[in-house]
Amino acid sequence: MAPLLELAGLTKRFGTLTALDGVSLSVDRDEVHCLLGENGAGKSTLCNLIFGVHQPDAGEMLLQGHPFRPTGPADSLAAGVAMVHQHFSLVPTMTVVENLLLGRSRGVLTRTAFGGRVLELAAEYGLQVDPDRRVGDLSVGERQRVEIVKCLMRNPHLLVLDEPTAVLPPEEIGALLALCRRVAASGRGVLLVTHKLAEIARVADRTTVLRAGKVVESVSMANADMRSLVRAMVGRDLGSLDSIAAVSLGVEPGAPRATPPAWKPAPAGSPIGQRPREDALVLDGLGFRDVAGTLRLDSVTIIVRPGEIVGIAGVEGNGQAELGAIIAGLARPTAGRIFVGGRELTGRPPAEITAAGVGIIPEDRHAVGSIGEMSVAENMFLGQLRRFTRLGLLRRRALNEAALDLMKEFDVRAHGPDTPMARLSGGNQQKAVLARELTLDPLVFLLAAQPTRGLDVGAVDAVYGRIRAVRERGTGILLISSELDELLAASDRILVLYRGRIVGEMVAEARHREAIGSLMSGHAA
Amino acid sequence: MSVATASPVVRRLAGTLPLPVLAPVLATLAALGLGVGLIAATGTPVTAAILAFWDGMVGSTFGIGASINRGVALALVGLGFIFANRANLTNVGGEGQIAFGGMVATAVALRGAASLPAGLAVAVPLAAGAATGAVWGGLAGILKVKRGTNEVISTLLLTFIALLVVYWSVQSENLLRQPKTSAATLPESLELPAPTRLPTLSTDPSSPLHIGVLLAAVATVAVGVALARSALGVRLRAVGLSELASRRAGIRDGALVVLALTVAGALGGLAGAIMLQGELWVLKAGFSSGYGFDGLVVGLLSRGSAVAVVAGALFFGFLRSGGIAMEISAGVPAAVVLLIQGLIVILIAGSVILTGAGRER
Repeated sequence: MAPLLELAGLTKRFGTLTALDGVSLSVDRDEVHCLLGENGAGKSTLCNLIFGVHQPDAGEMLLQGHPFRPTGPADSLAAGVAMVHQHFSLVPTMTVVENLLLGRSRGVLTRTAFGGRVLELAAEYGLQVDPDRRVGDLSVGERQRVEIVKCLMRNPHLLVLDEPTAVLPPEEIGALLALCRRVAASGRGVLLVTHKLAEIARVADRTTVLRAGKVVESVSMANADMRSLVRAMVGRDLGSLDSIAAVSLGVEPGAPRATPPAWKPAPAGSPIGQRPREDALVLDGLGFRDVAGTLRLDSVTIIVRPGEIVGIAGVEGNGQAELGAIIAGLARPTAGRIFVGGRELTGRPPAEITAAGVGIIPEDRHAVGSIGEMSVAENMFLGQLRRFTRLGLLRRRALNEAALDLMKEFDVRAHGPDTPMARLSGGNQQKAVLARELTLDPLVFLLAAQPTRGLDVGAVDAVYGRIRAVRERGTGILLISSELDELLAASDRILVLYRGRIVGEMVAEARHREAIGSLMSGHAA
Repeated sequence: MSVATASPVVRRLAGTLPLPVLAPVLATLAALGLGVGLIAATGTPVTAAILAFWDGMVGSTFGIGASINRGVALALVGLGFIFANRANLTNVGGEGQIAFGGMVATAVALRGAASLPAGLAVAVPLAAGAATGAVWGGLAGILKVKRGTNEVISTLLLTFIALLVVYWSVQSENLLRQPKTSAATLPESLELPAPTRLPTLSTDPSSPLHIGVLLAAVATVAVGVALARSALGVRLRAVGLSELASRRAGIRDGALVVLALTVAGALGGLAGAIMLQGELWVLKAGFSSGYGFDGLVVGLLSRGSAVAVVAGALFFGFLRSGGIAMEISAGVPAAVVLLIQGLIVILIAGSVILTGAGRER
């Protein structure tokens, strides 16, 4: 019998970039096929070809043995291919049932019968969804379930999931992977896109590894070796990677844990009033209410000592963004105070915060960390243009030379300092941001918010190498991340942020992983 | 849309001439062709109209001088527009800034400036006009920073206020209206005293060309250098592209927004003062007659280049002179003249967008 989906020699070019180069793979019924690869390897492009968003430049697709050339998502859906995207397409103000009815309403809407079908499906696959709740009130995991139900209602032959676990808290990942198995067991094919090896080990029947648009390995899991998969995916040996970078792939690090801090932390727990003046950061009872009056941060007290990395764990949307914005001086806390190196910075403007020795790697590299239309040099020195000004005129050459030096030091790869920031890869953009923020003198405190989001493993490696280097020199670091494994590997202590409150503190050791995970989901440890 | 997707004809022509030059020329020719058709439709002899048009633009030293003077006002407003636009702000208030600048310059000139030493008698009213425009523009900036008011709306509404205040000032004898001597006395101000008028540049007494053109040249260099070569230009651009990233980098984005609109307003106010002190000499309601809006178009079409502002301002200045001559000496209805001008604007704007969008990417 022909495989459910067969791709033969698919090639897709965007301008001069070859995103996919002769990719062949097949997905069978009853099979979970994992597509593994780094950011930029071509995974999303492949999904887009299957879902009809783009058309291949060469090669052929066969669905159940018949030629399959979708010219749009509607074609793919009609042919029995459904896809769960990274970004959900749900209307937050509508209920679950209303969302599911969208786009499926021909003639009379039979809401009650429809609701019944939703519950039936949910029961069949063990998906808990309340059809009458507003989507806006659901957690990310619940919204994803709604998306999946939406796909399953079409009774597809093939279900494609694009990085579905990236948005989930640790507890919910297991449930999602179990669901993939159930869907496959019902006679469908599942194509699961991921860059985490650990997930593959738990769910895949077969795995195809993409690197730079080509298939570099395709193995059945029965005879797969994790180490060789890593090597195939990143093109280098696991041992040569920073342990945190290895962790970010979801494999156990082979190397010992991060070097202990050179600076010996003072005992924690002494009251704020008696803290030594040299604490890198003190947040004292920070509170923040947004314009709508919702309390986003509530009595957040955090102390970061010099040379210490304190991790903030939590599912996204629990106050991390607000915390980052307040420390960066982009939002004013409604309660509490901020001290850096003993100096009060509450409500001070960003220029003063920078001058006090606070480096910020913002969560949103594009909106806050850099300006895509401006050059690398301008981005690096936007706050220090005065250094390059004579008689009011900007000395472009001096600016570009200084930028070139930083680019060399931080290995920022670009055509030159004049290149617009947006032309750089995500990893190089982040390195440019690091170059700007880590070269502050003095650097008393560093906020690193989701510093590796969307980066490939080489860049993750570089980012943590840099962060550790400044820690060695005595900078205190607050690391906000939704990747628990990364936090565990990089931090000394971990605080858990849930609904704007610090709900727990633990030493960053792997044995606390489960306890932290359940705190993140709002369960007391 | 890029050049590559433009029509085949345009693409072939683009091979011989740079498209950004060619397209506006073609657009102007097309507009003039349509204009001739319209004139013929109104029954006016076409040749007479064309001759009058040409004559008004370059037929006499008066025509040339008047055209350049018109270009000066348009250039100043256009320069202000591109300055604010570098911070992604759209100053629609040029008309009101001209009106207020002209009114205050008139008031200062009539109330004492004439007795100042020679240079100051000219400079003080000019400065007062520019300062008034600056306040009027800056106000929109403050509203935007403090209250989040969109500057397109606020500058436009402030324009209506300015136009009505000017109207009131020339209606009320307590303000600027000339003393009533008969029922036929018009609602306008007294003539500006001679010492406050801008010195002319030409030895030919029939040429109205005044030193405003030098001021505009200085403004062009200043704005051009500030935008292209200074740290201020980089900061304005940063604020325009991303307020948040600029603020994080330590740029005082609010102050820059106010500054950008203040400078735009000052240039508008200066344009108004120059119009009054240069050629009009009498303040009337509606004296700004669309210069603010034409200046906005000049600024928009220049895509941020100060040199292009000057070229566009001169072009529109000559066009206006030609239009006025066509109306007066050939009897082409004013509405048709305006219609032709509108066609030219639309077609040029269209051609600039057509050829320019490819460059943006």
